[in-house]
Amino acid sequence: MNVSKTPFNGYSVKFSPFYEDRLAVATAQNFGIIGNGRVHVFSLPPTPTGALTEIISFDTADGVYDLAWSESHDSLLIAAVADGSVKLFDTNLPPPQNPLRSFQEHTREVHGVDYNPTRRDSFVTASWDDTVKLWSLDRPASIRTFKEHAYCVYSVAWNPRHADVFASASGDCTVRVWDVREPGSTMIIPGHEAEILYCDWNKYDECLIATSSVDKSIRVWDVRNYRVPIASLNGHGFAVRKVKFSPHHRNLMMSCSYDMTVCMWDFMVEDSLVGRYDHHSEFAIGVDFNVLVEGLVASTGWDQMVFVWQHGTEPRGP
Amino acid sequence: MAAESSSPANPPAAGGTPQNSAAEAVQPANGDKQDAAPQNPKSVFVNSEPIREDQVQNAIKFLSHPKVRDSPVFHRRNFLEKKGLTKEEIDEAFRRVPDPSPSAQPTATNQAGQGVTTSTIQPAAVAQTPLPMTTVPSGGSPSMVALARSRFHWYHAVFAVGLLTASGVGTAIWVKKSMIPRLKSWIRWVVLEEKHGDGDITNIKPSVAEEAAAAAKSAAAAATDVAKASQEMMISRREEKVNMEKFMDLLQMQVTEIRSMGNAIQQLEGRSDKIERTHRVEHGGYNGSIANLKPTYPMGNKPEIDSRSARSSSPPTSADQSAPPYLNSYMEDMNDQPPYASQQISNPRSAPRSKPWDGGYQATTTSRGGGFGSSLNGDRGSDFGAQNNGVSYQADAQNTVPWWQKKNPRITELDYVEAKPGSNTVAQTNEQPPIQRTWVPPQPPPVVMPEAAEAIRRPKSKKEAAEPVPNQETSGGGSSSAAAAVEVTDELQRITKISESGGEVEETTAHSGGQETNGGLKLSEIEEEPVQSY
Repeated sequence: MNVSKTPFNGYSVKFSPFYEDRLAVATAQNFGIIGNGRVHVFSLPPTPTGALTEIISFDTADGVYDLAWSESHDSLLIAAVADGSVKLFDTNLPPPQNPLRSFQEHTREVHGVDYNPTRRDSFVTASWDDTVKLWSLDRPASIRTFKEHAYCVYSVAWNPRHADVFASASGDCTVRVWDVREPGSTMIIPGHEAEILYCDWNKYDECLIATSSVDKSIRVWDVRNYRVPIASLNGHGFAVRKVKFSPHHRNLMMSCSYDMTVCMWDFMVEDSLVGRYDHHSEFAIGVDFNVLVEGLVASTGWDQMVFVWQHGTEPRGP
Repeated sequence: MAAESSSPANPPAAGGTPQNSAAEAVQPANGDKQDAAPQNPKSVFVNSEPIREDQVQNAIKFLSHPKVRDSPVFHRRNFLEKKGLTKEEIDEAFRRVPDPSPSAQPTATNQAGQGVTTSTIQPAAVAQTPLPMTTVPSGGSPSMVALARSRFHWYHAVFAVGLLTASGVGTAIWVKKSMIPRLKSWIRWVVLEEKHGDGDITNIKPSVAEEAAAAAKSAAAAATDVAKASQEMMISRREEKVNMEKFMDLLQMQVTEIRSMGNAIQQLEGRSDKIERTHRVEHGGYNGSIANLKPTYPMGNKPEIDSRSARSSSPPTSADQSAPPYLNSYMEDMNDQPPYASQQISNPRSAPRSKPWDGGYQATTTSRGGGFGSSLNGDRGSDFGAQNNGVSYQADAQNTVPWWQKKNPRITELDYVEAKPGSNTVAQTNEQPPIQRTWVPPQPPPVVMPEAAEAIRRPKSKKEAAEPVPNQETSGGGSSSAAAAVEVTDELQRITKISESGGEVEETTAHSGGQETNGGLKLSEIEEEPVQSY
């Protein structure tokens, strides 16, 4: 029930894994096509209604497409920037002393970033130059580059239980499962007939992975039998931009789509749609669950709004 | 790419998985996952399927197609991957097709152990394929013929073009030199013939003078025709010129208009930048070198990464100035590089917090096993107070639970009635089959008043007996009597539970059960003795 308006169009929202009342929003000017970008760090106010309090914000030369909080340092943020750079921000330092690092290795826009939640020492970035790169905070250059996809890689996600396994979703209509100890991908899941925009692992069953695609559907796969999806969730009117599994419930998922809605799903039930929120007036691009507070969710979109609400209540407030 | 190495530099996690060179024997940290893993003790994230021969055959047919052979190897791999072939199957198909270079690439890269796998080498391999194919005796004549044919193609095309032009030129010259004079003389002969014919009818006077006059007349006529034609051409050319000039004038006007508009806009954006921006507009398109999907606007060129340092300093415009409606003004020369070359990353102020799905580690995990949906209110508040890691907010609001932790009681009951089977699966994730679409009913609480339950049961059973008629056809013959018996008891238990919990949810579940054809709520299968006649 907290709302805030950002000056730029929202691309991604992430709750902090350290502070339950803190979240960061990645935004880009002019819908991310051209212009600057900004990372906002908000804090939830003590009142149930009202605007989010901005703690700090960082400007970038190009739009920020995604961000990830560090799991090892409570104040560090990794931003995926559209000019191909990966920037490290410290929210404890003022903006003139930021960014701490700017890694310029990708040759195209960096579209996704994910921090390793189990080992907490590395992160991966997904880029439109068809590669995925593995980084560590203390190294000046990437540790590894994974180049197998035939088209833009839109997202990466670490497995919540296996510290070396991650998955990448790409515009070549496949999801690849990688192991950082292997030279190439260990599994190729041709999940959809259209581009796959996002993938996420189930937090309670490390063999389940969800994919969202331009074909308006979300599919849940078991990597042990990936020929047939466990569930295919339809209901969105346009391409589904993100899908996230709940950190508190095994079967609960949340998705956002270009049809401007955020939907909640339970993929084990026949009629899987358990909630639909229509609060955005433009493409809904980012959603996130709060890992520390059960039921608290946030969403952002191209209408420059950031909503934080409790699942089951009205996002725009009573 | 110099920083790559085949083995990850991440130090092995404490108690984490051992590092192996191959994909074998990757033991997950939590040992209880082995129950659902495939028979061989491999990682579950690897293809464990055997190579499907039919898929390999299809792939070989695909790869043997001449058109496919002309496409880059990378595209071929990607097509097969999209069709659902595993890596092993694709490699096997490439191995079998008489084209050794694509199969040589993956093994080479694997042995090299580089993180960069097939793709970067394959574009180079495409260019190199002619060379290795000539040196290495490839598999038989087809490839040589293909090679020869491919080589021939190029020369062949050049030859053909040359031949055609030469023949065209030759024919033109020949026509000019020989055909046209012949044609002219023939025409003259015909004309003379006509003249002769006319003369026979009226007054035959074959005099040289008359013939000369006739010839002169025809020549004059021809000359006048030629003159007319050339005059028409001149007129048309003049007209074209005039049109061109008009066109050019219009273009010039438009250009001047656009320039003036641009100037006006730039004036709006700030006079100081005007000079610099007009320079950029005129140099135009230098940033086309960036392979970029984004469109570039003439006014605001996306700066090259290299040029950022070389750019002359100019005062950055504030982003608040009025901008054209379709494009928000932005700072092109914003410097977002790190201000200090190697700034120390400060130590974290708080310890990492464990995740709710890790279970067993967290202080709040006491409620993890059972209570997803409900009754976490009080637990949460107190646990958060205990687990607070220095958030000042918490210090102020000592006893009040933050608003975003309070549960709306409406949600907790409705949404996660099904949460309990979810809780079962947390504890025993892998002992249930992976494909689980059926709703497993929870264990019913003990019946307090058996008579009431019995009384309620009877009318319910009659109602359900009436329903199986439409459903019988759809799912008929599916279940054995034993299964039916089990489902009968399940259904009765469920109904008992519903009736004891207030019966609110009765209707919806009964409806959903009645319409469900597959899945656990097989009301259609419930057949009691008296209703067996159905």
